Amino acid sequence: MPKSKRLTELATPFASVVVELEQETSFVKELRGNALAQFNSYGLPAKKEEDWKYTSLWGFSQQQFSHQAIPHTVSQAQTEQLALLKQAYRVVIVDGVFSNELSQIDNLPTGLTVSSLAEGLASVQSHLGGQINIEKAGFNALNTMLMNDGVVITVAKGINIEQPIELLVINSGATENLATHLRNVIVLEENSQVTVIEHYVGLSDIQYLTNVVTEVVLAKSAELTHYKLQQESENAFHIATLAASQAAHSQWKTNSISLGAKLARNDVHTQLLGEQAHVVMDGLYLLNNKQHSDFHTRIDHAVPNTTSEELFKGVIDDKGHGVFNGKVIVHKDAQKTDSNQQNHNLLLSRNCEIDSKPELEIYADDVKCAHGSTVGQMNEDHLFFLRTRGLDEVSARNLLTYAFAVEVLERIPAGDIRKALSAVVEQRLPQGGQ
Amino acid sequence: MLEIKNLHASIDGKEILRGINLTVNAGEVHAIMGPNGSGKSTLSNVIAGRDGYEITQGTVTYKGENLLQLKAEERAQRGVFLAFQYPVEIPGVSNIYLLKAALNAVRKYQGLDDLDAIDFLTLVRSKLELVKMDEEFLHRGVNEGFSGGEKKRNEILQMALLEPSLAILDETDSGLDIDALKTVSDGVNALRSSDRSIVMITHYQRLLDYIVPDFVHVLSEGQIVKTGGKELALELEAKGYSWVNKNA
Repeated sequence: MPKSKRLTELATPFASVVVELEQETSFVKELRGNALAQFNSYGLPAKKEEDWKYTSLWGFSQQQFSHQAIPHTVSQAQTEQLALLKQAYRVVIVDGVFSNELSQIDNLPTGLTVSSLAEGLASVQSHLGGQINIEKAGFNALNTMLMNDGVVITVAKGINIEQPIELLVINSGATENLATHLRNVIVLEENSQVTVIEHYVGLSDIQYLTNVVTEVVLAKSAELTHYKLQQESENAFHIATLAASQAAHSQWKTNSISLGAKLARNDVHTQLLGEQAHVVMDGLYLLNNKQHSDFHTRIDHAVPNTTSEELFKGVIDDKGHGVFNGKVIVHKDAQKTDSNQQNHNLLLSRNCEIDSKPELEIYADDVKCAHGSTVGQMNEDHLFFLRTRGLDEVSARNLLTYAFAVEVLERIPAGDIRKALSAVVEQRLPQGGQ
Repeated sequence: MLEIKNLHASIDGKEILRGINLTVNAGEVHAIMGPNGSGKSTLSNVIAGRDGYEITQGTVTYKGENLLQLKAEERAQRGVFLAFQYPVEIPGVSNIYLLKAALNAVRKYQGLDDLDAIDFLTLVRSKLELVKMDEEFLHRGVNEGFSGGEKKRNEILQMALLEPSLAILDETDSGLDIDALKTVSDGVNALRSSDRSIVMITHYQRLLDYIVPDFVHVLSEGQIVKTGGKELALELEAKGYSWVNKNA
């Protein structure tokens, strides 16, 4: 594909930014070099590319991003307040930099390591870059060129970590147009289990870019429960790739809740590489004003007997624009694949937009693949019913909106995390919930 | 309680109600019968306050207040209740949440505080008994996966909890087998009182064997063409609606 002149000749000369981790190995240097070459030849994705058809980067390309963060003043008390969970191991990254003082990762149990990218890289180097493609993938290339921090989590064989880990990524608002490029690596060895929450928060209404890649490696029978809560500032760009590979009998449950940002693009991808591997890939996007959210998901059923369940729901108000593109690929010989993908959207205004596109590519013949996609408005019969029971119109609309969204939350096992996420979603409804 | 005078209502420019006159006093039970398309559902929708109907003439007065000026929720808060012919299923809203929100909306209008969790549950349990519903139904989505009979019982449960002054029962008997009809009717009968009026809208006489009305009205082409006692329903059942039209 020819490079897009318009978008490679950006106002921000990303290619001239130099990043180096402490004691950076030649392996990482080489990755960066390759990524730079890719970025230089392909640049950022243009709208004519199928994967970016509904998401324009024109506005993005006009921004002057900075890679120099001004010191912030985020305090322990603030992180305490911002955190989704009180009972969790907490890793805090502020303005793109891991904060040892704000993090709470002392006294980790045996078998669990949680560290900054620079510190943890050596232990996961063989996996770095293994889950993502940097060819013709501008943001992944950019992230690889410029990754400067993030978190590395490893769980040793047979270890079950009860307490969840919250990765709290804060933009303090201190630096106008700050660009951060984070790389997280989560590696679960055989038979291990852990819960990880990625939580992105913006504290101001300034413009900035969070460009994050999270790579997940699940060995045989490993189980990762993963949540992502995106509450960036209303003027932020949030560009994320979340990519996993799953060995036999592994289970990955991931649920992305996208509430903030002016433009949010999430690529969620897993490869089911061993038999009986199972993925639950869920998501919820609530959009208002002129927010734009684009979820591109991809599930590769590479071998026989793997299963996937996918449910994404969107609530779109004002001039919001939602995009859902769900690719399910059943590779040749991946017999007995069982996959179900659903995308349902509720439109609350006349001016909003949704582009929903299921994409199934099936190269095996003995498979079960279901998919469904709907776009609808508030049900007037439901609304009238609630009003005849005394609920005023605003409360009734809120209740029905929440009822539509709650299906995604109900797939989260009951407990503190579901409770906390439900409260956040309820708070985000047009009138702040009931 | 309710006084309807010369009510004309249209939808999409088509006149459905053409001069309804009806007076319902406190404590009375009225049955409005009529063939399909006679305007029965329109009448219940107009009383409950559904949007989309144009009132071209006439008045509806409820407890001395102009009902037509009020929004659906304001009518509900003042004690007007509509039991639906086809109760909607709302997954994601639990029955207990709905009941609590509805009761609190009514209490708020009455200047009362929300009931606390324990008092609320005690109250709901007593009402569940009335319609022979299991407590398990409280935690399911509103009517989600309910059978026809369970949905109708759920409507009566809501009525029992909200204790309306005026209840409109729209084809409450439709889709019920005899056992369910008996349970629902027993629930309604238990709610009859000297300060509560009930208007039953029905196609068939069958319901009136179980909930015996004080008055029966026959609705035809948007007008009440005949009024009588409960024996009128039997006569209708025997002779058919065409008999009324010929004699109107």
